[in-house]
Amino acid sequence: MGKYQLSSLALLLPLLTICANAASEAPRPRGVGPEFAKFYKDAESFTCISNPSIKLEVSRLNDDYCDCPDGSDEPGTAACSYISPLSPAQPSRVKTGQFNETLALPGYYCKNKGHLPGYIPFTNVNDGVCDYELCCDGSDEWEGVGGVKCEDRCAKIGKEWRKQDEARQKSLTAANKRRKELVVEAGRLRKEVEDRILTLQTQIQSQEIKTEALTKSLAEVERQEKGKVIKGAGKGGKVTVLASLAKDRIQELVDNLSRVKDERETARTRIEELEAILKRFKEEYNPNFNDEGVKRAVKAWEDYAAQERPGPDSARDRDLEEILKPDSESAIKWEEYEAPEESDVDVLYKFEEYLPDPVRKWVDHKLRDLRILLIENGILADPHTSDTPESQAVASAREQLAGATRELDADKSELQKHREDLDKDYGPDSVFRALQGHCVEQDSGEYTYEHCFLDKTTQKPKKGGGHTGMGNFVRIETIAVDEDLPADGKGLGSGVRWALVYEGGQHCWNGPNRSTMVVLACAEKDEMWKIVEQEKCVYRMEVGTPAVCGIKEGKEAPVHSEL
Amino acid sequence: MMFTTAARWPAVFLLLSALCTLFVPAVTVKHENFKTCDQSGFCKRNRQFADDAAASSWTSPYALDPATITFKNGQLSGTVFKTLKEGEAQVRLPLTVTFLESGVARVTLDEERRLKGDVDLRHGSQARKERYNEAGKWALVGGLKVADGAALSEKAEAGYTKVFYGDAGKHQAVIRHAPFGIEFQRDGETQIKFNDRGLLNMEHWRQKVEPPPKEEEKKEGDEENKDEEKTEEKVEEKKDEGPKGEDESTWWEETFGGNTDSKPRGPEAAALDISFPGYEHVFGIPEHATRLSLKTTRGGDGNYKEPYRLYNADVFEYEMDSPMTLYGAIPFMQAHRKGSTVGVFWLNAAETWVDVVKSKTTANPLALGLKGHTDIQTHWISESGLLDVFVFLGPTPQDLTRQYGELTGYTAMPQSFAIAYHQCRWNYVTDEDVKDVDRKFDKFNIPYDVIWLDIEYTHEKKYFTWDPLTFVNPTKMHKHLDKRERKLVAIIDPHIKNTNDYPVIDELKKKGLAVKNKDGGDYEGWCWPGSSMWIDCFNPAAITWWKGLFKYDSFKGTAPNTFIWNDMNEPSVFNGPETTMPKDNLHHDNWEHRDVHNINGMTFHNATYEAMLERKKGEIRRPFVLTRAFYSGSQRVGAMWTGDNLAEWSHLEASIPMVLNQGISGFPFSGADVGGFFGNPSKELLTRWYQTGIFYPFFRGHAHIDTRRREPYIAGSPYTEIITQALRLRYQLLPAWYTAFHEAATIGAPIIRPNFYIHPEDEKGFAVDDQLYVGSTGLLAKPVTKEGAESVSVYIADDQPYYNYFDYTVYQGAGQHTVPAPLDTIPLLMQGGHVIPRRDRPRRSSGLMKFDPFTLVVVLDKDGNAAGTLYVDDGETFDYQQGAYIHRRFSFDGKRNALTSTNLHPRATVKTDAYLKTMAKVRVEKVIVVGAPKAWKGKSQVVVSEEGAKESARKRQVGFEYYESSGKKAAWAVVRDPKVAIGKGWKIDFS
Repeated sequence: MGKYQLSSLALLLPLLTICANAASEAPRPRGVGPEFAKFYKDAESFTCISNPSIKLEVSRLNDDYCDCPDGSDEPGTAACSYISPLSPAQPSRVKTGQFNETLALPGYYCKNKGHLPGYIPFTNVNDGVCDYELCCDGSDEWEGVGGVKCEDRCAKIGKEWRKQDEARQKSLTAANKRRKELVVEAGRLRKEVEDRILTLQTQIQSQEIKTEALTKSLAEVERQEKGKVIKGAGKGGKVTVLASLAKDRIQELVDNLSRVKDERETARTRIEELEAILKRFKEEYNPNFNDEGVKRAVKAWEDYAAQERPGPDSARDRDLEEILKPDSESAIKWEEYEAPEESDVDVLYKFEEYLPDPVRKWVDHKLRDLRILLIENGILADPHTSDTPESQAVASAREQLAGATRELDADKSELQKHREDLDKDYGPDSVFRALQGHCVEQDSGEYTYEHCFLDKTTQKPKKGGGHTGMGNFVRIETIAVDEDLPADGKGLGSGVRWALVYEGGQHCWNGPNRSTMVVLACAEKDEMWKIVEQEKCVYRMEVGTPAVCGIKEGKEAPVHSEL
Repeated sequence: MMFTTAARWPAVFLLLSALCTLFVPAVTVKHENFKTCDQSGFCKRNRQFADDAAASSWTSPYALDPATITFKNGQLSGTVFKTLKEGEAQVRLPLTVTFLESGVARVTLDEERRLKGDVDLRHGSQARKERYNEAGKWALVGGLKVADGAALSEKAEAGYTKVFYGDAGKHQAVIRHAPFGIEFQRDGETQIKFNDRGLLNMEHWRQKVEPPPKEEEKKEGDEENKDEEKTEEKVEEKKDEGPKGEDESTWWEETFGGNTDSKPRGPEAAALDISFPGYEHVFGIPEHATRLSLKTTRGGDGNYKEPYRLYNADVFEYEMDSPMTLYGAIPFMQAHRKGSTVGVFWLNAAETWVDVVKSKTTANPLALGLKGHTDIQTHWISESGLLDVFVFLGPTPQDLTRQYGELTGYTAMPQSFAIAYHQCRWNYVTDEDVKDVDRKFDKFNIPYDVIWLDIEYTHEKKYFTWDPLTFVNPTKMHKHLDKRERKLVAIIDPHIKNTNDYPVIDELKKKGLAVKNKDGGDYEGWCWPGSSMWIDCFNPAAITWWKGLFKYDSFKGTAPNTFIWNDMNEPSVFNGPETTMPKDNLHHDNWEHRDVHNINGMTFHNATYEAMLERKKGEIRRPFVLTRAFYSGSQRVGAMWTGDNLAEWSHLEASIPMVLNQGISGFPFSGADVGGFFGNPSKELLTRWYQTGIFYPFFRGHAHIDTRRREPYIAGSPYTEIITQALRLRYQLLPAWYTAFHEAATIGAPIIRPNFYIHPEDEKGFAVDDQLYVGSTGLLAKPVTKEGAESVSVYIADDQPYYNYFDYTVYQGAGQHTVPAPLDTIPLLMQGGHVIPRRDRPRRSSGLMKFDPFTLVVVLDKDGNAAGTLYVDDGETFDYQQGAYIHRRFSFDGKRNALTSTNLHPRATVKTDAYLKTMAKVRVEKVIVVGAPKAWKGKSQVVVSEEGAKESARKRQVGFEYYESSGKKAAWAVVRDPKVAIGKGWKIDFS
């Protein structure tokens, strides 16, 4: 946390300065920070910090010529600024490795009285630019090259900084408070889930019992009904009428389906033709001559082509073909319904008619048992075959069971979802649970960008037109950042930060699927500070949120972050 | 056995698939967009002419009438007669041969009838009737002083006229009357021949003879249509044969890619053969993606089949190793052999094709001692305009670049930032993006000077506006950049959006300053903004108007640290023939576009340069304007880059000969886009490209809008660090580069130089074009252009010691030397005998190095001597023209054991003194002597004396350290802070 570092520095450095001043009466050479003062105490000579074998006359300190291989003799000039792995190689003055040839000092020390002291890179010393950001006392330009004069602005800058720091602290306090609320909120939400799980568990238990009972009852009803012979009222009458009506109706539907199918085929061919034209257009156009119209068209085509669309489903098409076949080839035999005949069942009924009533009942009963027996043993055909409607009783029992099962399944899957949710990574203290689905927006250039926590990122053109998905949430990570922290504190600063990763956004013209890395830093409110397209269609958002305030990043890095 | 075969298969597959990926035609030039010689009527005609001349016992029909010859004030005049078919009048062609004091000769051939305007133009055209004769007005700025000493020779044989000219009359022009031809001799030896092969061809004006209306006669009554068709076919056939056996089919009209050129003046080509007897190498005539030593163009193994074409064009994704035309044209060619460099400058702005043939005479095996020799024969073909050729007789490459520079101008002395690193991309999308990139460079400690904006910064492609959504506060952005002395370059193109509510187009139309179509209306074409019109900078009024547009209160949001990039000025017209303007468009003074095409880009570049001078009264700074299209003379107003290259190794490799060629062709301020414009370079390629780019005089990273970001800090470790080292090396050597620019600006010397230029006597090195020397510093770089390379083979031409720049390893002896070149190493050697000025303190931009001390690297030659120069000025204003500069010569005399600084400034002025005052504290902080003599071992002090020092301090002892040689590494020594002023005379005594 940049703010923390700054504020702790603010406390620490004056202390250090006091200690250092107390320890050494002699003023330190120009550019030496208090923590290095001990190396510069000798009034006669100087020993290079990392190379104690090299002793110099004290006159060679800060004489604008680099004597020490580690640059420690020039704490106050730019003479040793070339000592860096970034500089062109030059021959070592002795055998390689004998000397430590990296800079021993972190930079030029600016006392910045009235503000925070700090180090500025040696490359910036006496280059004619007042680097007030790091060196508000202007001491980095002590030589005044090219006539530059850097007045001491620490009083003003320091005052401003303190004012802002105060605001920052205030804001930080508020942010911390807000974070606590968020954590509480997250806890409450979690509790809600847990409660729900409990409720669901009980619910499922009772549902299971109910389902079991219903299954049994259905089986019983079915058994009861199996032997019962159902006759449609008025033999051949209504069924025949219905059948002929149905036949006509179905024919009509088939005809229309066939027409629609033909139309669909034509449309498909046309689309293929058009897609081929556009494809060729995209391959052959000259992107260097990007006239806006052409470019827009190509881009729209790219986006269109990148969208995943289910191709023609051959299985479904086969079904369709099947449906469209003439009825004679399908299972429906209209004739059977149009001219009903007597079945053996009917014969049986007729036989019963000649018996006296009590005998008939007995016989009837016995026969029914026998029939069930026969049916159950597969000897007699079940009259309730698929083409005969089920009896009301069975249907209702079945429906009840189905309803109960549905409810049970729904409850189970909800339970599953909530259980998974409890295992899901919601960041430190599960704080992001409280922000899930909450969105922040920011204008940048031609677009407005939107980030919905743990959901998705979106780009919305200001000039109108469709929104572009920049990725859907996949995971929480931590990353190291190193950015300037603006005075208002709205920035990432340096250190390890939490980041939300969004992937699989809309496919990019000549590029990958869009993805976004949302890097979070502490702020009083949820707000997006900055959005950059790091490289083609790879975005990075800098977002402030109280959710990440006051936590030690890195140490709590989620174990399953690579998921 | 089985096993090995099985194991091999995957390898074969891998290889195959690798090959396949190589050949994926992801990006290739669209050949069908550009003409071949065969598709360009006048080229086809003249090539045919050459073939016919070679096949038969051809006699050129041109003869100089001796009776018309006059010689006055160094100029010979006369009339050349072109004999036509019997019964036709001869064509009168006025000839002038001018002998210039510089030793250069100029041959001009015009056509009397066109000159007098005694011709009719077809289609009622308003175009001018003369052959275009104003190319010199744009290209030439000096060197035209006529030689007083030139004289007719008394001793010419019959049928010849001879003129002595040049220094001490060493040059001689031998003019043959019939057939007309000229031989140019130096010291009695013929170097250049005109019309030796009889290919001189001035296509004279003629009336179009409409085909006789025979059909009409036959069309009595209503005969069958079939017969009629047949008759027409016959007539067609007859026409093709032509009444005089000439192919007329391309005389009156030509169609290409759906565009028809109305050619109101008919055929008008000017062509000539120019031979270089005894020469094996010709260089020059940029811009082509080809080798430095030009290949031949008449087919054969490994040679080109097409002539080199010069017709400025926006060639999209251009291909390597091709004579195809590119964005710019410099019709200056030089021939080189041991002991002699000669050349010609073909001053013509129309479409031009150049055939190059080498004819070898094999040695007779019986005649001992006689070597076979090679002649180079060239054939120059231009569509229109005067035949106007300058002849240079050298004898050194330095003479040629100097004399060519005298004529067309020297490189403008750039601002110092312009030779530092430029960071460009299509596009940095917002002002915040610009500031962010700027911050990142500082964060990563990478130096850079200039950030660039491509077309997207404008509001809907309207130049001189900012997109209000993305560039909300350009003024603040400029201020931010200025804090570190950084600059911004914004693009401004010549096409003006044809739209409502845009004052620039309204004014362009109202003032009538646009290029006109063939009917005299404003020409409308298509470019970035859609429908556009083009400013006609041939018109002085257009330049005046253009100047006004750049004033700070006109182009709001710009600041003194804004500079300009001119792109698309070939001109690029998306819907035009060959992506440019129709040739029958009309420019100022009714010159046809065909006449001025190759100059067009320069006039626009020049107008912008003029505008940059006048942005604010009293604030005169050296302009910086980059151009893509160019012509001879463009060097006077800015820099060029090699256009839209690809992120491929082959393009990296080709960039070196291309930039070298720019150097010897008078326009050395050049470079290729680092990283390659199209496509995404691998990190290795990008790194190698930076290591190469630091040796381009113009050093800019650029990328296409569809590529991933590739600023140096993005690649990551170790690439970013290696690239930063390369950039810091460029910055460290900026004093040497600036000095090299000063040489270019004063004597026309290339900034990076090919082997032949430094070693003109070394025959083996004439064709070497993959390594380069930086100015006169003796720095020899051989950039790595091959993937995965761990070392390179450097060609050394002489017997001087060459020291590795970084560790002083010695390489000596003519021939190839293997120099290690792993990714983090730049193969860079220092030729013995030079003093290289450096500034070793890394800064954020070159502007912040202004007052830093210098380090001098004294690299001793085999005799223990070394010398070098340093030029320094304020890097910004024109005060240097009034003497405000430092110009020193450092020399180490091995015998006297002393390094001295002497003044090369001829005459101190008030401005000189004022400038020296600002530089008084700038000193030499370190002197490194490489190849230090053994005798210095044990020495711990040297004696320094400085002019103007107080008597007591006249002789100072300063620290000295000597480092013995170890292995192949040379001994070296360091003088510790001699504290001598860079602007003063001084001496360091090592004895």
